[in-house]
Amino acid sequence: MGLKVKYAPEIPEVFKCRVPLAGTGQVYLMNGTLREPYRDSSGVVVNAGEEAGFVINVPDGVSQEGSVQLISIRDSENTEEISFSNHIKLGAGSSSSFLICTHTLTLDEFVTESNISINAEENSSSHIVVMQNEHNKSTHKINFQINLGKGSFVRVNIVTLHGALLENSIEASLNGEGALCELNGIYLADGNQQINTKVVMKHMVPHCNSSQLFKGILDNEAKASFSGRIVVAKDAQKTEAYQSNHNLLLSRKAKVYAQPQLEIYADDVRCSHGATSGRLDENALFYMRSRGIGAVEAKLLQQIAFVYDVLEKIDNYELRGRLQDMVESRLRGEFSHCANCSMNCC
Amino acid sequence: MLTIKGLCASIDGKDILKGIDLHVKPGEIHAIMGPNGSGKSTLSSVLAGRETFEVTGGEVLYEGVELLKLDPEERARMGIFLGFQYPVEIPGVSNVNFMKTAINEKRKFQNLPPMTAAEFLKLMREKMAVVEMDNSFSSRGVNVGFSGGEKKRNEIFQMAMLEPKLAILDETDSGLDIDALRIVAAGVNKLKTKDNSFIIITHYQRLLDYIIPDVVHVLYDGRIIKTAGKELALEVEERGYDWLINAN
Repeated sequence: MGLKVKYAPEIPEVFKCRVPLAGTGQVYLMNGTLREPYRDSSGVVVNAGEEAGFVINVPDGVSQEGSVQLISIRDSENTEEISFSNHIKLGAGSSSSFLICTHTLTLDEFVTESNISINAEENSSSHIVVMQNEHNKSTHKINFQINLGKGSFVRVNIVTLHGALLENSIEASLNGEGALCELNGIYLADGNQQINTKVVMKHMVPHCNSSQLFKGILDNEAKASFSGRIVVAKDAQKTEAYQSNHNLLLSRKAKVYAQPQLEIYADDVRCSHGATSGRLDENALFYMRSRGIGAVEAKLLQQIAFVYDVLEKIDNYELRGRLQDMVESRLRGEFSHCANCSMNCC
Repeated sequence: MLTIKGLCASIDGKDILKGIDLHVKPGEIHAIMGPNGSGKSTLSSVLAGRETFEVTGGEVLYEGVELLKLDPEERARMGIFLGFQYPVEIPGVSNVNFMKTAINEKRKFQNLPPMTAAEFLKLMREKMAVVEMDNSFSSRGVNVGFSGGEKKRNEIFQMAMLEPKLAILDETDSGLDIDALRIVAAGVNKLKTKDNSFIIITHYQRLLDYIIPDVVHVLYDGRIIKTAGKELALEVEERGYDWLINAN
């Protein structure tokens, strides 16, 4: 077969996520290449993929204890444009959770494309959190392809904090009855940053549910787009599919393009979509200021409040708290790196 | 405490306040009554510093300081409190964090160190008892999912926490059932001292059965058309506003 599996050299000492979440194993991916294989106590295995990327296998029936954190780093060892594929197999009846972090260590103009296919077998359940914090010159496209089998549940929460051009494309296909797919995201951009989100939610069979909640805060001349399509196949009766996208524009030059689309071929379904873009609520600002809270702080509180319900979807309490802190320091403009890392990531 | 002279204000070019004169001494409770659209809420908003209104004339002295030059937050830190007619919901910001931020901003202004967590929690508990508020409210988002009565109680709770010198309550009684009204009024009465003052804006005399005003004003078409003692409120309740309006 001529499988070419290779592993990355030692990761630079300067970068270490120093305080991993309780019960979480860490796996590094350097410029798309896995540092070393990993296996946790419950039998979840992370191996290098063919050529590059990772392959995760959650065996049938396994209830993973803790979580696996995949830390994907670009650095000056390889400044070429790279594209690699990753696979996650969620075995039948298994439950698991993953945290995928993407970073850049140097200010090179990285272009990264990573394709992540997720195969959720019957009655499996998985929570996947993606945290993106990259430099101002980094372009990163992540393409998720999620296939959901009968009775399976996949929830993806994306927290996009920083980067030049970040594109997240998620195509989820609900192929087995009773499947549930939940996609949530926050995107924060300022300067000339651009963040694009594209979702295609395909309901192929009856009795499946899906929901999407994406919120963005854009400042300066930042741009964002959200294109969300819900497709309900002809026989996919009793589908419930919801989508919402809300944006807060902090400056007159910030722009957002929202494109919600419904394509429904069945006749007994519940679907909705909503998209808004707006500015800070003057009434709420005045309310806070009338209690002695300064204008700057009041604006910040309102931004934190705006994205709060998306962060609430992350049910790992420790991780949620940490991401809340990061979102807050990002919005305060104090953000340079994760609190637990020795590197300045942006 | 507060002296208003010839205050005029407009919104979108439309004159709302057309020369208000008012003098509030420490320890006094003033009630401002008047029909809908007379300018009651505008007056409270202008005093608290809402920027949607343009002050077109007059002056306001609060403790000797020109109030109209200050930002809303500066006024609040100096001891002015506005109880909102429609308190705003702020999901994602818990009552605890909201009040902690507000109190500490005020303390910073007074050159005091931030409160310790223990001091703050003790104060919270104490003041929640004043308005018979359940402890579970503290972790909930500000006013989120609160009933009308709970929102108004939360206003009084915030007032109790901030201990203002001058509290302006804008139709705090609207939408309250009799029990909530009693709790709100009892809260105000408990917080009343000889040094702080209240301006109570209300549509009805009902609240004034529980909070006894020293002075009652009737506001109509942007002017105070009648000022008298507490008996004026009863007279308005009985006779309405027309006799006062027609007399002008």
